[in-house]
Formats: sequence, C-alpha cells, structure tokens
Amino acid sequence: MFNIEMFFAFGLFSLGLYGVSSGRDFLRIFFSLEMLLNAVIMMLAITAHHLGMTQNIVLAYLVIVLATLEAAAGLLIFAAANKVSGVIIPDELNGEVEK
Amino acid sequence: MTILLLTIVLALAAASLTIKRSVPAMVSFALMMFLLGIFYMTLDAKVLGLFQIFVYTGGIIVLMLFGVTIIGVAFPQAKSRPWSAVAAVLVFVALVALFVRGADKLQLTAGQATEDVHLFAAQFSDFVILFALIGSSLLYGTVKMAGLLKARKKSTAKGERDV
Repeated sequence: MFNIEMFFAFGLFSLGLYGVSSGRDFLRIFFSLEMLLNAVIMMLAITAHHLGMTQNIVLAYLVIVLATLEAAAGLLIFAAANKVSGVIIPDELNGEVEK
Repeated sequence: MTILLLTIVLALAAASLTIKRSVPAMVSFALMMFLLGIFYMTLDAKVLGLFQIFVYTGGIIVLMLFGVTIIGVAFPQAKSRPWSAVAAVLVFVALVALFVRGADKLQLTAGQATEDVHLFAAQFSDFVILFALIGSSLLYGTVKMAGLLKARKKSTAKGERDV
C-alpha cells in the first residue's frame, strides 16, 4: 500500500509540473503550484504513517504555511501585473516588459 | 477504499487543469484538497487533515476567488507547449524509478532515523538554510517584479502624457 500511495503522490506532482510548464493563465499556474506542494505534503504524510517518521508531520505543516504564503504573494503580483498591463497570461507579460 | 479516494483526487486535479471555465475548475480544485484532507485523516494524521481542510483549503480558495474576479468566468486561450506533457511524464517515470530503486533502503533506514533525530535537533541548521534560501528567493522575485511593474507604469504614464 505504501508504494501505491507514493505512486499517486508522484502522479499528482507530475500533473502539477505539467500545469506549471504548460504556460497558461496565472490562476491555473497557481492551481498547479498548489498541486506540487500538495504532492509533497502527501509524501510526507505517507512516509510518516508507513515508516514512522513522525517528524515529517511537522515538515508538512511548514510546507502548508509556505504554500499559503506563496499563493498570497503570487496573487498580489498577479493583481499588480493585471492592473498595470492588463494581462492574465504570464507569457504576454514577458512580451510587455521586453517592449 | 484508499485507492478509490486517491484516484478521485487525481481525476479532480486533472479536471481543474483541463476545464475551460474558471469556477468549475476552482470547485474541482477545492474538492481535490478536501479529499486530500480526508486521506490524511485515514493515515492517522487527523490534525493535519483538519488543518488541510479548514486552514489550507479555506485560505487558498478565498485567494483563488480573488483571482477569479480578475480572470472572469472563462479561462483565456493561451499557446500550448506540447513538450510540457512529455516533461511531466518523464519526471513521473524518473520519480517512480528512483523510488522503486531506493524503497527498500528507505524502509530499512527509516526506523533508525526516528530514534536518533529528535525533530529538528540534529538537522536544524540545514532546515534554516533551506527556508532562508526559499524566503530570500521569494523576496527577490517580489522586489524584482515590483521594479519591473513600476518601470512599466512609468513608461505607460509617459506615453499617455506624450499623446
């Protein structure tokens, strides 16, 4: 069961990686970033349960706090970028700045 | 039961990336995080599960709602990058291969590690360096972005004045 649960965590991580690298709008990139971090939390919880590494639960709380902070900072940047240049796709923002 | 739960989690995660409308995508994302909380509870990490549901899911969804007000009900069309799917599959295969290769060793050494290490006592400096690196890179990114946006705002204002 340990192996299967870990494979699901890897699957979630890969889905998040696909979402981040496919270069869509800001909101789906945030979804994907959260998926990446959720996969990490999942791995920590699974190893804590199956291997008795209880210190991983503390790390999981730290990752949750980090993920929430990252989402807040990212959305602020998104809102500022949208206000200044009106773009909602990061690639377009890059083009705007290069001009 | 656990496998069914995790399959639904993966399906909801895929749905939140593929649905073209923002609100249903956000709902499937919220459901995915809620089910992950349930999964943690089945792993005897009840407080972590509750924390995931009430604090993490709640906080993130409020932030995402703010994003939805900017984006609108439909996601915009963006250029797709076909290599990203290939990269994700390659990473999945690499992770599985690495895990299968080292799983036995991990299970053997895991018990020893918990006996010797009392939370962060032995590795405290490593964690501090790691979090300092993450924090400083986040700060650098935010400051750099603010600078870029400020420059852009100035150039826009200058252009409007010239017109």
